This record gives sequence, C-alpha cells and structure tokens, in this order.
Amino acid sequence: MTDEPNAAPAAPGLAGLLPVALSAVLFAGFLALVPQVADGGAIRLAWDWVPTLGIALSFLVDGLSLTFALLISGIGALVFLYSWAYLGRKPEFGRYTLFLTGFMLSMLGLVLADNLIALFVFWELTTITSYLLIGFNHEQADARRAALQALFVTGAGALAMLAGFILLGFTAGSFELSVILAQGEALRAHALYLPILILILAGTFTKSAQFPFHFWLPNAMAAPTPVSAFLHSATMVKAGVYLMARLHPALSGTEIWMWSLTIFGAITAVFASVVALRQTDLKQALAYTTLMALGTLTLFLGQESGYAMTAFATFLIVHSLYKAALFLVVGNIDYATGTRDARILGGLARTMPVTAFAAALAAMSMAGLPPFLGFIGKELKYAGALAVASEPLVVAGAILIASALMLAVAGVVAIRPFWLPPGGAFPRQPRPAPWPMLTGPVILALLGATFGIYPDTLERALVAPTVAALLGSAEEAKPLVLWAGVNLPLILSVATIVLGVTIYAFKLRLRAALARAEAALPSFDAGWDRFLKGLNRVAVWQTRVIQPGVLRFYIFVTFVTVLIGAAGTMLARGALPALPSLSTVTWDGLALSLLIVAGAAIAAVTGSRIAAMAALGVVGIAVAMIFIVFGAPDVAITQLLVETLVVVLVAVALLRLPALDPPGTRDRRPRDAVLAGAVGLTVTLTLLAVIERPLDRSLTDYFETASWVEAFGRNIVNVILVDFRALDTFGEIAVVVIAALSAYALLRTTDKRRPE
Amino acid sequence: MEALLAVTIGVLVAGAVYLMLARNVLRFIFGLVLISNAANLVIFTAGRLTPGEPPLIPEGADAPVGTVANALPQALVLTAIVIGFGLFAFALVLMFRAYTSLGTLQSDEMRVAEPRDDGL
Amino acid sequence: MSWLLATPLALPFLTGVVAFLLRGRPAGRWISVAGNVALLAAAGLLMARVLQSGVIAGQMGGWPAPFGITLVADYLSAVMVVITAITALAVAVYALSDIGARAEKLGYHALFNFLIGGVTGAFLTGDLFNLYVWFEVMLISSFGLLVLGGRREQIDGGVKYVTLNLISTILFLSGIGLLYGMTGTLNMADLAGRVAAHENQGLITVVAMLFMIAFGVKAAVFPLFFWLPASYHTPAFSVSAVFAGLLTKVGVYALIRLFTLVFTGDTGFTHHILLWVAGLTMVTGVLGAAAQTDIRKILSFHIVSQIGYMIMGLALYTPFAVAGAVFYLVHHIIVKANLFLIAGVADRVAGSTALARIGGLYKSAPLLAVLFLIPAFSLAGFPPLSGFWAKYVLVAAALEVQGWIIAAVALLVGLLTIYSMTKIWAEAFWKAHPDGRDPTLAQLDPGVRRRLLLPVGALAALTLVIGFYPEPFVTFAKDAAAQLLDPTAYVVAVLGDPS
Repeated sequence: MTDEPNAAPAAPGLAGLLPVALSAVLFAGFLALVPQVADGGAIRLAWDWVPTLGIALSFLVDGLSLTFALLISGIGALVFLYSWAYLGRKPEFGRYTLFLTGFMLSMLGLVLADNLIALFVFWELTTITSYLLIGFNHEQADARRAALQALFVTGAGALAMLAGFILLGFTAGSFELSVILAQGEALRAHALYLPILILILAGTFTKSAQFPFHFWLPNAMAAPTPVSAFLHSATMVKAGVYLMARLHPALSGTEIWMWSLTIFGAITAVFASVVALRQTDLKQALAYTTLMALGTLTLFLGQESGYAMTAFATFLIVHSLYKAALFLVVGNIDYATGTRDARILGGLARTMPVTAFAAALAAMSMAGLPPFLGFIGKELKYAGALAVASEPLVVAGAILIASALMLAVAGVVAIRPFWLPPGGAFPRQPRPAPWPMLTGPVILALLGATFGIYPDTLERALVAPTVAALLGSAEEAKPLVLWAGVNLPLILSVATIVLGVTIYAFKLRLRAALARAEAALPSFDAGWDRFLKGLNRVAVWQTRVIQPGVLRFYIFVTFVTVLIGAAGTMLARGALPALPSLSTVTWDGLALSLLIVAGAAIAAVTGSRIAAMAALGVVGIAVAMIFIVFGAPDVAITQLLVETLVVVLVAVALLRLPALDPPGTRDRRPRDAVLAGAVGLTVTLTLLAVIERPLDRSLTDYFETASWVEAFGRNIVNVILVDFRALDTFGEIAVVVIAALSAYALLRTTDKRRPE
Repeated sequence: MEALLAVTIGVLVAGAVYLMLARNVLRFIFGLVLISNAANLVIFTAGRLTPGEPPLIPEGADAPVGTVANALPQALVLTAIVIGFGLFAFALVLMFRAYTSLGTLQSDEMRVAEPRDDGL
Repeated sequence: MSWLLATPLALPFLTGVVAFLLRGRPAGRWISVAGNVALLAAAGLLMARVLQSGVIAGQMGGWPAPFGITLVADYLSAVMVVITAITALAVAVYALSDIGARAEKLGYHALFNFLIGGVTGAFLTGDLFNLYVWFEVMLISSFGLLVLGGRREQIDGGVKYVTLNLISTILFLSGIGLLYGMTGTLNMADLAGRVAAHENQGLITVVAMLFMIAFGVKAAVFPLFFWLPASYHTPAFSVSAVFAGLLTKVGVYALIRLFTLVFTGDTGFTHHILLWVAGLTMVTGVLGAAAQTDIRKILSFHIVSQIGYMIMGLALYTPFAVAGAVFYLVHHIIVKANLFLIAGVADRVAGSTALARIGGLYKSAPLLAVLFLIPAFSLAGFPPLSGFWAKYVLVAAALEVQGWIIAAVALLVGLLTIYSMTKIWAEAFWKAHPDGRDPTLAQLDPGVRRRLLLPVGALAALTLVIGFYPEPFVTFAKDAAAQLLDPTAYVVAVLGDPS
C-alpha cells in the first residue's frame, strides 16, 4: 500500500504555503524565547475560560515546553512544505492542510498549557485531527480501520486520564499545573495517589503507544507519509511522554512510578526494536523504531537522576530530528519508485542523491555513530541507564539490544535502498523528488550532525532548561560531549555497533525467524478485530434481548416494573395499609361494584367481540352510576355520553375487523393473569393506604366559598372547570381537537404498498 | 365505602392489565377503556365519597348548604374522561389502520419497524 | 408577569390554529416559521425577566395559589422554554422543505405547533394536574405527527409508541389522584410542603415510584424505553428531530422537577434507584446503538443512552451534579435534534439512512460533513464541544462524591458513543458510495438546500458557542441547580411569603 502521491512534480496553489509561513513564524517566535528561558525565566500567560470550573487558558513556556514547541513548529514548517509538494494536487489537500494546521496548533496548546483541563482539551483535539488525518485515504477500508483504532485506543486512555486529571485537580485544589507541581510531597502521600497515577498513565501509555497499547501506531501508517513523519514520530505520540515529563516533579519518585515506567518502557523498547527488524515496509520499520524510542523515553522518565533526565532531553530531540527526516526520506522513495518494500528497493543513490545524502546523515544519527547527535544521545542513554539505582544492568542491557537493533534498522532504511543493488523491478521508473520534498530531510539531517559537533549550544539552549523543568534545577543537567574519554558508556557503544552490524548482516535469516515467531504469538492487531467483533456480538445479543420488537414483551416489562416499583417499595418502606373497615358499604355501592367486577372479568376472558363490548358497556354504565350515587351527576352524564361513543366507535370498527382470536385458539395466559392480579392488588393496597388518613379539603373549601361570591357560579364543578382551572379545560379541548385532527389525518393517509 | 371501591378498582385494573398484555391489539383497546375508568375512579375515590349531595350552591346562598360532595376531584375526573376519550379514539383508529395496513391485529406479527433480523 | 408566562404557552396554539386554517396554502407553512420566531422572542423575554428577578410566577385567572393554576418559571423552566423555541424554529424552517404537500394538507404545521404548545406548557406549569394536561396535548400531537404519512413502518412504530405511552399516561393520572388523596392539593409548590409533612412517608415513596415510572416511560429510561427505538426512525425527519430533541426531555424535566421539589424525603431510596436506572440506561442505550446499522436507529438508541447521563445528574443530587444534568439537557436537545436533521439531508442526497446503502458524503458533500462532525463529536464528548463540558461536569460531580462506578460507567459509555458516532462517519461519509455515485449538496434545489442547511448550521453554531464559551452556560446551570436544590424561592414565588 502506498500513498499514491502526486503523479507529476507539484505546482499547486501558493495558498498551500500559508501554513508553512505560519509555522515558520511560530518557530521564530519560540526561538526568540530561548535565551530568556535558558536563563531560567519561565513565561506564563493566562486567560479565564471557565472560571466557575477552575479552568483557565493558561500557558507556561519553560525548558520542557519550549523544547517541544520548537520541535513541533520547526518540524511542522518542514512537513507543511513537504506536503505541499507531496499532496498539493490532490482534491482534498485543502482539508488535509486544515486538519494538519489544526493538529499543529493543538499540539502546541497541549505542550504549552498550564492547566490540566485545557491540556486535556488540546490533547483530544490532537486525537480528533489525527483521526481525520489517518483516514486521509478514506475510501480504503484499511485507513478507516486504522483511524478508528487510533481514535478508540487513545480515546479510551484519554477518558481514563480525564478522570485522573479531575481527581488530581480535586486533590491539589487546583487544575493549574504550576500549583499542582509544587505539591509533589503531599500528592504522593495522598490516598488517591495510586488511582490518579494509574488513570493518567492509562492516557499517556496509550497515546505514546507503550506495550501492550502499541498496536495502533504501526497501523496509523495508513496516513500519508508527511503525517506519519509529523504526528507519529516527532510530535503527537510524544504527547504521552511529554505529559509524564510534565508531571514528573509531582508524581515521580515512588516505587510504583519507577517500576511501571521502567518496565513498560523497557518492554516496549526491546519488543519494538525486535519487531522493527522483521518489517519489509520501510514505513512500518520506522514506525516500530518510533515505538522503541517512545519506550526508551518512558524508561528514562521512570528515573530521578540527572543523567537519566539529560538522556531523556537529548534523546527526545535527537529522535525527533532523525526520525522525521527518515520518514520524509521514505516518502521520497515512495514518490520516486511507487513502493516502500525494502526487499525490492536499491540503487537509488544515483537518481536521488540529495535524498540519499539526507538519509545517510539521519541514519548515522539514528545508529548512534559519531560525530552525530545520536551518538551523544546514545552515550547519555548508557550513562543514564547505568545511573539507574535499582537494576542498572537490566536497563543497560535492554538499551544495548534496542540500540543495536536500531542500528540494523537504520541500515535497512537508509543504506540498502540507496547503495545496494535493487531486489526487483520498481512499479515506476524512479524520478527525483522536487525541492520542497528535499528541504525537510536535508535540514533535519544536517541539524543532527551540527548539534553533534557543537553539542554545548543545544545543551545550554534546550537540554539544561528541560532538565531544570524536570528536576527543579539546571545544575542537575549533565554535559553533552562527543568525547568523554574511554568509559563504560563508550565501551557499550562499541559493543552496540558490533552487535548492530552483526544483526544487519544476518537480517534476512533473523527476519525469517521473527516471522515464524510472530505467527506463533497472539497478535494484538487481530485481538482488536476480535474485540470489535465481541463488542458487536454483545451489543446485538443485548438488543435482541431487551428490544426484541415484540409489543407484548414491552408491555409486560413495563407492568413488571410498575409492580416491582410500587409493591416492592410498599414492602421495603412498610407502607402496607391496615385491614379496611367495610362498615360504610352501601347496598347500591356493593351492587355497582359487583357489576364492575363482573364486567371487567367478562371483558378480560371472553373470546366474543359482542360479549366484550357488552361487558365494557356494563362497566362504563356502572361507573357512571357510582358517580351519580356519590354526588357527581355532571361527571356521570359525561361518562355516559363518552361510554356510548366508545361503544359505538368500537362497534363500527369491529364491523371491519376480524375475530379477537385466530380460529381454533383461545386467549389463556396464566403468566399474564398473575401479573395482572398482582398489579391490581397493588393498586388496591395503595389506595387503601391513601384513604387511611383524612383528606385535607382546604382547596375544596375555598372553591365552595369563592364559587358564587367571586366567580358567580352555583355549580362548583363547572366553576372549577371554566374559571379556577380554566387552563386545564383549554388543554382538554385542545386534546380532543388534536385527537380528531390526528385521527382524520391517519384515516386519510394510505400506504400504497399492500400488506404481504 | 372507599375501601370497597379500592377493591373494585383493583379488580378493574387486573382485568385491564390482563387485556393489555394480550396478543390482539384490540384487546389492548378494551383494556385501555377499563383502565381509564379505573384511573378516574382512583381520583374520585381518593377525593373521598360523599353519598348524595352534588356540589351546588342553592339560590340565595353564598356557599353550599350542609356537606356536599368534593367538587375538585369531579372536575379532574371530567377533564380526565374527555382527554381519555380523545386518546382512546385515536388509539382505536390507529389499530384499525394497523389492520388495514399491516394486515393483522396480532401484535407479535407487527414487525415492520423492527424487523426480525434488523441489521443484526 | 402573567402575560410573560402565558405568551410562550398561548403562541404555539395560536400559530397552530392559523396554520390549520391556512393549511395547504404557501402562507400556512410560513405562519409556522413566523409563529416560532415570535415564540423565540417571547421565550427570550421570559428568560430575561427570570435572569433579572429570579423565579417568577403568574396566577392564571387571578386565583391565588394553590387554588387556581399557577404558571412558574425558574431558571430550569425558562431555559427549557428557550431551547424549545430554538428547536421549534429550526425544525419549522427545515420542515419548509422536508414536509410534503400531502402532510401539510392534513395539518402537519398545526400538529407541530400544538406539540410545541404542550411542551412549553409542561415546562411552565406549576400544577401537577395541569402538567398532566400538557403531557396529553403533547402526546396526542405526537401521535398524529408520528403516523402522518401512514407508511407501514410508521403505523407499526406508532402502535408501540401509542400503547406504551398510554400506559404511562394512566399511571401518571392515577399517581395524581393518589397524591391528591394524601395531600389535598395539586399545586407543586404546595405539594412540596404537604408531602414533607405527611405522616406516612413510606406511602409517599410508593407514590413517588409511580411518578418515577410514569415519567421514566416518557423519558425513555431503562427498562421502559422500548417505544423510542421502536418508532423514532419511522416518521418524517422534521418530526423525528423535534421528538428526539424535546419529547423525552419533557419526561426528564418532570423527573427533575418532582424529585427536587416534591419527592425529596427519601432520597436515599429514590435517588439511589435513579442512579441504578441512570447507569443501566446509559449502558443499554449505547450498546443498542452499537448494534444498529441505520443512522436514525443509532441516533435513537443514543437518545436513551444520553437520558441516562441526565438522570445520573439528578440521582447524584449534589448542586454540581444537578447543574451537570441541566447543562446536559440543553446541550443534548440542540445536538440531538440537529443530528436527526442532518440524517434527513443525508437521506436526501445519498438516498438512504441505512449505512450499507450510502457513502461518499465526505468527498462530495464536505459542508455536510463539517455540519455532521460538530454535533456528532459533541455528542461523543470531544472537547471543546458542548458535550464535553456536559460530560465533564457530570463525571467530576460523580468523582467529587466518590461515585467511582457511575463515573466509570459514564466514561465508558462515552467511549462507546465515540464508537457508534464514528461508525456513521466512516460508513456514510468516508466510505465510497456503494452505487459509485457522488452525493452532492448541489443536487438539491438551491432554495431547498438553504432551508435544510440553515437550521442545521444554526444549531451547529450554537453547539460551537456553548463549546468554546461555556462559562455563562455553566454558571447558569449552577444557578439553576441551586434553585432546584433549595426550592424556597420557587415556593415563595408561587405561594407568597409565609411570614
């Protein structure tokens, strides 16, 4: 799968260069802040956003955030320039640019935010923009799947993290990071420390693709290559690392912090570098080395020493420079040949000398060879590893393996495609990449070399201030030097190179072995498919159970709920009535009651439509009689009128409707009868309990005295209806009118399709 | 007397619920008629029963003479009867249309909006 | 003061009657739009007044409370009326191009406005029986709207919708009777005092449960929501939009009103049950959505799921949590109505709402894609859209009182919401159209396009405003919650100062 970049050298609209200018200006702006920040002067800006919730748009520029901001805006400018040539003629380039610009600004917001919730907002904005960018080739199912996977995995972590943030904010009494970071002692001693830490690490580990949440990152390579270069190597995936670094002063220093970061980081680093070697797609290989870098950075953040932090800061910068460069190089190879398959590619140095040059420089930095910055980075890594208090050899060993594999992968990506003979025919005749696609790789690769030769500039400008942000003092930073004399790190470096070259030499055999091993192991990516399938199966099963489409089930559950709600509460809350007295029962009352009971019973069980109608009529009339007996003649008249209409309407309808029961069946439902009986009993008991205490008749007393004197009516019921509660009557009339309107409309509409 | 009516209402409700749970939606309509009556009686009974005198103010008086029936529940029941009739009438027409359009009154067979293997 | 309260109630009925008289004529449909513009103005005036002087009450017919019927507007009622007016106006404009001549002739615009009248009545009344009346107005209008057109799936969905809602209605009515039998009053402010003073609190709780179930059906909570997914995907898009936005929310409103004002004596029992209901509603709703493959069915189950969030705010019963419920209500109405309107546009241009049968909208209808993304991502709770703040407040409120499980459920359901929203996005927008065609907005007549997209755009803009500038809305929700949890101002406004 390739990106199918522009078919011809680009001459797209100049408007596409606007984001280049924007990011360049931002970069320049951040660069101008370097001296001040290097001198220890952090800059803080704040605006109110949601003060009610303690959420402010506050930003902090210190060594750590400035380093990230420079990487984001600087690499951003180069990536925008690159994209302009790479994708500028695609119809959806406008949207692409919009999303990528949105991403860059969100990412800047994320690293500069000094408020946890604001940080979260930017964090999720990077998630959304990254979703849209991974899905750039949206008509391909793979791209859609990868986009969802990235969104879901990082989204899940982010939601956990949000809970962690909220708890952290509550615990610290503020969402302002400056306030939180000052309370490390108290936070680490707090009972909620552990849940906070776990929830936040869930966010950072998923975002920074730590094992076992790593699987989304290689799939995210479905994004166009410049996106991968920017998001999935240099910036977004480092957001998790950034956050761990940011919170380092507040949360680090405990056993759980140290072990979880060290273990997850080490496993990710080793696992990823091994798998990286197995890849034949250059981009996939780079993706796995990115995982390795993220693991290494995490591992260092688990520690406390100045060496570890210096190693973190340096490697962060080193990796961003060479990895972005190499991604863009791979983009150029893809552009030139139409393939990214390491087994085919070769001999490209002649067609694309500039790219080959950039690739070589970046690869040597990645491989950790002197005099590149990567070498210094690697030396510091070893020094940092050896300074780990608990298990220095394990950590150093992990880094040795990872670094050696990295060197081998650097060979695969940057040496083989350019300098060794091709392994097969390319999909297209190789062509050179246009200048905007060369600028990025060359500048980034040259920076790696320059900083390698002049490391102290970098140290003073960015590394030391970053360490200061982590450990509280720039004094803790260790010097960046190319030649530190013959020491243990140097010896390990030599060992790395030897081991790495050996691995490279045997890479084909190793690759085959790894492929076999991988096939034998469970795949996380397949696990994702199983997860989605399982989710869908549960969802479907649940929906079948609770929404089966059968009306009787719905009604049954509704009445069961009524029964449990009312009868259950009555029992739970001791609201059962006492045995009622039947002393006031009158003969006419009893007779009417029996009539109602008989009517209800017949209506319930009869299979005859005539009998049912008659029973309904009897009940209606008996109810009307009760109204008459107990002083409600107006109600009775209305009731009789309505009952008559009901019976007439039912009769008219029945003329055109079939029998109640299909021929040969009878309607006997014992389960329903039990439920019905229980509901009826509940109603009776509730009503009996209600009438145990005398009624407060104050409203009626008022109506009785005011009806004539104030409302000039002698029939109190009528006065209530037309005066005291006229609004009810208005609504009542509305209901009848609307019912007529609706029924008319319903009868007048006909569905052309006949029933089957 | 309220206690007897409470029992009567309970039976009425039981019959209505049993009808509403039936397969044939026409029985639901019958149940609806019964349960509407039951609900009206609940209001009427909860407002207490006063045998005899309707709530009227005789000519020449400013207020009812002696004890008269509670007027407020009567007004509520009147409103409820009329509203209930509106709802009933619509429901009946709907069931009628259901038969002409879906060809059945058996609710188990009404599976057009939620087909059996709907997207599953 | 009375006219301020009565106007938002009377206007829709007036509009409905005029629209009915002019039905089938071009003027008839514009009456609906004009009437809803006026309604929005009236609602705005009401809101301004409430913001200025707190809870206001008007005694209808001049009869003092609790004897006559009182209309009351506190912050919650006022905001519900405003949001109703906004939704109604949006749908009225959309309906200009959505509702066919036949349905118009049969009185669509009248039914629509009567529905709105019932809704505003329910929000404004301070009388329990009167609330029942407005519920019925709303219900019967919704019956008519649901089956207007008479397609078979409408009739089928209508049968389920009508039967289950009628059961709820009867339950509500019986509950009123019983409560009257215990307290002798119907005025809600009066009820607050008399219910609290009643000797048999256990029985009060029993009756409270009847109300909870009756309103639970209306609000479509677990396990009473069946009617909603059975019917909401069947009527015209305008109709399902206004249903989706408003109807269940009237049930939620009633629950909030009664369970903050009247039934507060046994919150350890009632609100604990509500918390369970909230959690189960969220989960079953969102899983129901995950199983669906039709845009409107997905959205319908999501209504259920999101009702759970609102109930969660009520159930937690802290000022912060209730504020979250209020905020969620407002956010949800805008977003949900809008998504149904967008589904209608998608149906128009791409030919269906079944995900398997459409696609290509992102490529060829980018404007629609943007308009979808805003409410969809808001619903999924992505910041900085309105849904994020709604969820944030609720989750924070849960964590504040150590409600770990409900907070976890709320977050997890948020994740699953993302899943099904992106399903719509991936299938309807990203995927190529299975027929290989490019569904563009340009294929719509320009006038139609304007009338369909204007309301969608306006609601999306509102979502953005709430999202980017949430402070006034959060403050408002907090004040509304404070009023709800300390109903003194409400009671005094209705009954007068006892001293």
